[in-house]
Amino acid sequence: MLTLAHFLTLGAILFSLSIAGIFINRKNIIILLMCIELMLLAVNMNFVAFSRFLGNLDGQIFVFFILTVAAAEAGIGLAILVVLFRNRQTINVAELDDLKG
Amino acid sequence: MNSAQLLLAAPEFWVLVMACVIMIVDLFLREERRGIIHMLAMLTVIFAAIITLRGDFLANGLPSASAFNDSFIRDPMGDVLKVFSFVLMGLIYTYSKFYLRNFKMFRADFYTLSLFALLGVMLLISANSMLMMYLGLELISLSVYALVAFNRESGRGSESAMKYFVLGSMASGMLLYGMSMIYGATGSLLIPDIAEAIRVQGSDDILLIFGLVFVVVGIAFKFGVVPFHMWIPDVYEGAPPAVTLFISSVPKLAAFAMAYRFLSSGLGDLHIHWESMLASLAILSIILGNLAAIMQKNIKRMLAYSTISHMGFVLLGLLPGTAFGFGAAMYYVIVYGIMSVAAFAMIILLSSRGVEAETLDDFKGLNQRNPYYAAIMGLVLFSMAGVPPMVGFFAKLMVLKAVVEAGMIWLAVSAVVFAVIGAFYYLRVVKYMYFDEPENETSITAPVDFGAALTLNGIMIIGLGIFSSSLITICMTSFGV
Amino acid sequence: MIVQELIFYAFSLVMVFAAVAVITVRNPVYAVLFLVLAFFSAAAIWMLLEAEFLAIILVVVYVGAVMVLFLFVVMMLDINLVPLKEGFIRYLPVAAIVAVAMAIELLMVLWSRGRFGVDMFPVPPPHSADYSNTRELGELLYSNYLLPFEVAGVVLLVAIIAAVALTLRTRPGIKVQNPSVQVRTRRDASVRLVKMKSEKPRGA
Repeated sequence: MLTLAHFLTLGAILFSLSIAGIFINRKNIIILLMCIELMLLAVNMNFVAFSRFLGNLDGQIFVFFILTVAAAEAGIGLAILVVLFRNRQTINVAELDDLKG
Repeated sequence: MNSAQLLLAAPEFWVLVMACVIMIVDLFLREERRGIIHMLAMLTVIFAAIITLRGDFLANGLPSASAFNDSFIRDPMGDVLKVFSFVLMGLIYTYSKFYLRNFKMFRADFYTLSLFALLGVMLLISANSMLMMYLGLELISLSVYALVAFNRESGRGSESAMKYFVLGSMASGMLLYGMSMIYGATGSLLIPDIAEAIRVQGSDDILLIFGLVFVVVGIAFKFGVVPFHMWIPDVYEGAPPAVTLFISSVPKLAAFAMAYRFLSSGLGDLHIHWESMLASLAILSIILGNLAAIMQKNIKRMLAYSTISHMGFVLLGLLPGTAFGFGAAMYYVIVYGIMSVAAFAMIILLSSRGVEAETLDDFKGLNQRNPYYAAIMGLVLFSMAGVPPMVGFFAKLMVLKAVVEAGMIWLAVSAVVFAVIGAFYYLRVVKYMYFDEPENETSITAPVDFGAALTLNGIMIIGLGIFSSSLITICMTSFGV
Repeated sequence: MIVQELIFYAFSLVMVFAAVAVITVRNPVYAVLFLVLAFFSAAAIWMLLEAEFLAIILVVVYVGAVMVLFLFVVMMLDINLVPLKEGFIRYLPVAAIVAVAMAIELLMVLWSRGRFGVDMFPVPPPHSADYSNTRELGELLYSNYLLPFEVAGVVLLVAIIAAVALTLRTRPGIKVQNPSVQVRTRRDASVRLVKMKSEKPRGA
């Protein structure tokens, strides 16, 4: 039988994978952006599962807004990426060491 | 919902409408008449302040009222924070006009985006549900990401915007993960309902504590405290100073409101858990912020690390969880906003045409170049260092008092020790200004409105210090002390 | 019941595989495509959770618009793939340790003391056939969640303004049409009548 724990486990695995992805792909910004999308997917999975098992729709509403904001976020992130590429002719973070920190 | 409830959000509606009006008006303006945009933006914040003050919350001390199915709350604390956001915004627009004109970036996008960010700040201050908190936070963040990359020709600007974007989105993801846990544990998104559910079920729930950890991470990132501070020095250095003016001041007010509503109003029963988390974040920030600031040669990075240590003090005020502590933290965050705006105004002032002031050397001999502005910068630095009778001293005093009252003497003592160490780098700049020979002899001039705003800013720093009880009383009564 | 479990495990496996692929493949185009696969599987799992509207939205809006935007950018920027591979192996052990530690912690919380067992969260009965998830969401969205809905609109507006402000540039020397000028043009501007004497045929 499928319990809440099944879905939350899936969410937790996805979340950990996205964190791992951020670690591995520190130099590749476009993959970093995709890892952030994965992280949001994990969060959404949690919300949808809780919403179903708690029997109230607030969680699904929240997911609706997360999807909206994530779309806006992706738009701005890619815009910044394009500007960066125009200035530097690269998206490789290894070369981005003007600023130490 | 009736119209009286809708009117609670009148300041928000006003700012939203004006942001759109400015965007459209700009389409019909010629290049040389852009000044109108600036006037409109000033008008927006002035009227927003008037509309907020006309609400009965400050005048008649109404406790609070909520609208939109309780997801929006209007209370004295929120109104005080909003009014100070508007005051800071007015100063920021006056300062940044000078910079934007000098560096040929005087475009309406700056005003539109910053007004949307201001709207986000107002919504976050009034947010009473996790959903509104998230949306307010993202409205601020998205506008600010774009503003940091506002100078499109600057590689450093877009690079720091990219770093800020990646780290900021990660923090939002963490915060959301925490929120999903708290939703699962309590079954609601509304802060009052969450508090009620925790009261009923008891706070000994591993799911809640787990959610709390992620939420604290998210909040810590927005404050920029150690170890979630990596973005601050890069963004302060890479962003145009006109944008740094904003980032370093107004969103911190909103972050305070969010921390208060989430941690105290919502998760107040978990106080013992978040108290220790905030304590370690606070003390780490104060230590690392002050020590790292000493090493900096770049004035912007120095101010960035100083921000980190100041935000540590704000967390110190939050952590006892007492009304007095919240009042002190609120006082601190407002005072910090006023000081930091003045400090970045000085950087703008020293940036001559096309060349930004970057290093501490730019401050050398400022007294010979313009004694008046040197005196104001002196006030700012003394205030940041916490020297009486400047307002920064009283801010530190109140926070430390709250911490001592809560019985955490060691925390207060170590905060004081590192604050004293930190005074060194502020006073070093004072030495540069008064005792060193200038590298650049040209005298410094600024437009009349810039000078007037800076004078007002200086008067606030010393005036609020000498008459410190006025603002302290306002902050304390917001929390019923 | 057993069918549902089969569906769940099948799509979960695909999803985890796709997620692993997203973070490990070198070519960003493949990564985008694997991300699309992960989103599709997530949509299927949300169907199991009776969140039909969100499942559709995830495919239509997210895969259909956002992921396509990603693909556009990946292909538009002429990215040099070689330096992006650097450091991959170096960070891999750390990342693996962090991820495994984190996953174990999360799972320990999730499976501890039956917090999420059937006693705490009984499996809800499925909705009846005439239940409309979209309708229910819509009713909530336009009543209780009116303010967030408006704010979400503002967030999207900010995204538009920001994207235009950051990337729109007018390059000098590009020939573009300006329709309003073209429409407004008058006959006098392009046609000139020249009076001249009519030629007489030679030799007449």
